[in-house]
Amino acid sequence: MKLIVRFAAVVGVALVFAAPAAACAHPRTSLAFLEGQVMCPTCHTTLDQSDSQAARQIEGFISQKIAACWTAQRIESALVANYGQGILAAPSHKGFDLLAWWLPIAGVLGGALALAFAVWRWSRRGEPGEPEAPAGSGLDEETERRLDDVLARFE
Amino acid sequence: MTRRLKATVQLVAIGCVAGLLALLVWQLGHQQHAPPVGAMAPAFTLHRLDGPGKVSLASYRGKPIVLNFWASWCEPCKSEAKVLERDWTTYRGRGIVFLGVDYHDLSSDARRFVRAHALTFTMLEDGSGRVTGSYGISQVPETYVLNRQGRVVAHLAGPITDPQFAGEFRSALARAVA
Repeated sequence: MKLIVRFAAVVGVALVFAAPAAACAHPRTSLAFLEGQVMCPTCHTTLDQSDSQAARQIEGFISQKIAACWTAQRIESALVANYGQGILAAPSHKGFDLLAWWLPIAGVLGGALALAFAVWRWSRRGEPGEPEAPAGSGLDEETERRLDDVLARFE
Repeated sequence: MTRRLKATVQLVAIGCVAGLLALLVWQLGHQQHAPPVGAMAPAFTLHRLDGPGKVSLASYRGKPIVLNFWASWCEPCKSEAKVLERDWTTYRGRGIVFLGVDYHDLSSDARRFVRAHALTFTMLEDGSGRVTGSYGISQVPETYVLNRQGRVVAHLAGPITDPQFAGEFRSALARAVA
């Protein structure tokens, strides 16, 4: 009888802890994913590259919130509220931070345009319609006649 | 047309290089260093850890201040906390103010730390590390002792429980209170 009571207690406790997990209404995020998204504030690397105490504390917080069914976005927001925007590895998609996303794209596009323009200008140099060298050999009649005589000896 | 285009491209390239150089100079100029002894302590306003509202350093002008930077994840901060609390209760009657600045820490863990060590002096939170950076702090614990004018009397770059800093802390306290 005691054994049954104990078993029931263990099952009950397990259910209490399993219930919130089962109640997760969305795919659960993972520590491994967030470790690459969140910075260690003291060592300025992402959590997955740090073994500092501050990083371990944040990992503990993330694990706890994942277990409580928090989304990655909610966890990141909580960390930003605590540590500021610098806790995220990537800049936000708002305001001045947008420059960090758009400047590289603008740079690549600008470079590609400059390259295309340079290629276009270069290719135009060899196109027909541009002034060509004048026809003929450019030799006077006397020289041409003597050259013909010399060549005739070899035929 | 080609010449104008060439000049424009050259100008843009020079502008980019000049911009990058300006950024480098700005970065070098804004590197944060610990305020030396005798210098004014950097001003700040921070949220209280132990309640609502903000506290500014300027509001304590006229009183000597012990400014301790700590974090709940910092091991040496645990043993230091007891000593700080003891000194605070010893010196509070002489008008000295103890301020704890919690650095790069989770507020919930920091509050738990304060409760666990029964710390009663004012605690402030600096989650982003902005203020802590202005004091040139790269690791915790570190402690500054400021005089009544807000000038740095001592900077102890380690736990005050460390024999290397314990004597210096006591003497700085005496100088600040005098």
